[in-house]
Amino acid sequence: MITLKNVSKRYTTTAFGVRDLNFEIRDQEFLVIYGPSGAGKSTTLKLLAGIIKPTSGDIERDGQSLLDVAPESRDMAMAFENYALYSHMSVGDNLAFPLRAKAMSNNEIDERVQRMARTLQIADLLDRRPGFLSGGQRQRVALGRAIIRPANLYLLDEPIGHLDAKLRHHMRGELKAMSADLNATIVLVTTASREALALGDRIAILREGNLQQIGTPDEVYYQPVNEFVASFVGEPPMSFLSIEPKSDDGKLFFQIQDCDSRLEVLSEMAQHLNGQKEGYRLGVRASEITVSLQKDAGHQVAGEVYIVEHMGYCNIITAKLGKGLVRVITESTVIPKRGEVIWLSLNAENMHLFYQANALQHPSHFRTELNTSGVLTGAR
Amino acid sequence: MATITLENVSKTYGNRVEAVRGINFEVKDGEFVALLGPSGCGKSSTMRMIAGLEDITKGTIYFDGKPVNMLRARDRKVAMAFETYALYPTLNVYENLAFPLRCAGWDKKKVDEKVQEYAQLLELTRLLDRVPGDLSGGQAQRVGLARALVREPACFLLDEPISHLDTRQRHRMRQIIKRLHLEKGFTMIYVTHDQEEAMAMADQIVVMHEGVIRQIGTPAEIYRDPADDFVAGFVGEPPMNFLDGSPNLCDGVWMYRSGDRQFPLPEWMQAQGDKLPGNLTMGIRPFDVAVGMESSTPHDAAGEVFVAENLCDYSIVAVDMTDVRFHAVTPTSFKVERHQPVYLKFDPIFMRFFDKATGKAILAPRDW
Repeated sequence: MITLKNVSKRYTTTAFGVRDLNFEIRDQEFLVIYGPSGAGKSTTLKLLAGIIKPTSGDIERDGQSLLDVAPESRDMAMAFENYALYSHMSVGDNLAFPLRAKAMSNNEIDERVQRMARTLQIADLLDRRPGFLSGGQRQRVALGRAIIRPANLYLLDEPIGHLDAKLRHHMRGELKAMSADLNATIVLVTTASREALALGDRIAILREGNLQQIGTPDEVYYQPVNEFVASFVGEPPMSFLSIEPKSDDGKLFFQIQDCDSRLEVLSEMAQHLNGQKEGYRLGVRASEITVSLQKDAGHQVAGEVYIVEHMGYCNIITAKLGKGLVRVITESTVIPKRGEVIWLSLNAENMHLFYQANALQHPSHFRTELNTSGVLTGAR
Repeated sequence: MATITLENVSKTYGNRVEAVRGINFEVKDGEFVALLGPSGCGKSSTMRMIAGLEDITKGTIYFDGKPVNMLRARDRKVAMAFETYALYPTLNVYENLAFPLRCAGWDKKKVDEKVQEYAQLLELTRLLDRVPGDLSGGQAQRVGLARALVREPACFLLDEPISHLDTRQRHRMRQIIKRLHLEKGFTMIYVTHDQEEAMAMADQIVVMHEGVIRQIGTPAEIYRDPADDFVAGFVGEPPMNFLDGSPNLCDGVWMYRSGDRQFPLPEWMQAQGDKLPGNLTMGIRPFDVAVGMESSTPHDAAGEVFVAENLCDYSIVAVDMTDVRFHAVTPTSFKVERHQPVYLKFDPIFMRFFDKATGKAILAPRDW
């Protein structure tokens, strides 16, 4: 187990790479470090590799400080974002290099290189030199060189970010299978939501050098600690509506800002309110609501169709509610026109409540029956 | 605003490299067209010829019916957003946007109106006092777009402007760009290698590969009825599954045989079974493949789970059959382990077939 204790890295007096990081990387887990650019993801990886040292704090492995252990003695393999291949060597030799250092027999090296090349779909490129490869091909060689040798910890910095969609999808599966088969710990950096959810046993979400939340994909997806995590995990991103708690005849409701619609508030949610008038927002994922072209018992909140995005298996509709925008998903055959009114199944119970961007409450029945029907059977 | 027509347009670099090979398409006034294809397919060369940044080797480009081959870039009333934003570093955002208008001799009030309008459309209103050095990459990019647009060009060209952004920013920019198009009605040409962006934003998609156009159609047409196996595999996430095989008459029913798997061909193909090519490729999207623990019909395909990815909204299960890996989308409640034996079921309605030799789609007869 690797433990980060109050780890900060300061580049200049004001510019922090990361600030006061505290979390652990468990043995044999697949940890994804996820966040926007400038969040400190690569800095964290370099700190783990020992390429840079923390300004303050400690990094321990099984209780022993790693700070004085040289990078080459840490039993780690790293794939960099900028590839860093040996330009004078063929692809095959680049892949074989880490194995030769391990004094393996030529036969075994050859076999491993061939197997890796097939997995990465670069078997026909083994004789080429890196200068004659496309960006996506180079990225696969860099990944292969990192994961070809046995190591305790693999550090992968956006290893599949530059591949086309088809290949990225294929490689995502290969990485997932590799993590299941190897008795190794993998830390992977990404800026893509789907990659983070698909790969991570746990996901650590960083923002401007600060850790926001670390947890399983289900935890960060269904119980985000704040609006940042909520909007950053999941696709399409969560929608937010500013609301004001009001009461009418003793009954509490949320008035959606700049909009006629109001949402009934049940007592369970009411107890989380702190008497303030402002600063509340409700968040909802497209998959957590359904939409109807007619008003009915389950669809009481009107929205005006603003943008329609075709995704093939479904459509993402962005609807206007006052000044707020809410994304919903419809079956691919349901294509409302811009300006048309649609009815949403919004109610406060199935929404996430935030106060000044921090989560107060999440829907309780979120796991039971999510609206996956539109997504899964939309094309049927 | 403008209608743009390309007629037999080719681009050859030097004497050898044929980047674009005699392509024809039209972008109607006010339409949003995406040029979609992998790197090296000729999409950027095509756009640069439309912008006037490159000579047209052969063929003609028309703006509103008038040939523009000899017109310089600046005379074409085309705006182009580059990936490098090239903002004036000493001017604040407001002045960056106002500059091209002042140069064109606009009066102060009109300049202010336009700047405010575009600042609002591109969500820059709160950033107007900042200088470019204090902007994030995404913000600088939006300023770049706004500055390209304030002069209200006849046509707006964008080359992979959002491919490097994170998931959340990409969704935001997709909405902003789409909104620009809806509110201002620009003719827009958007170049990308990302099928999801093209699908989400475009009215029409032109799919290119190796310098030629493979298909032109709406996102729904291209997704549902791809013209060939390249388009089928390039559009859609997760990508379409493919299975090679051949038609085979068995007890009066045309079956599709692939290795030891065999299942009936869709109804519409039964009548033309004897006219089918001998070697076919069947394509089916992961959303249309069902997975079961047991086989319910003799036509289910047996396989073993490679990995399962839980994306919270749904799961993607990769299944290895003897010769090929398939992907299926399942509800997250469906739990499988690696190496677990499973059966795949394909609904004939969603199967697409391609001629193995040419890659072309086998089309249903018109009356189907």
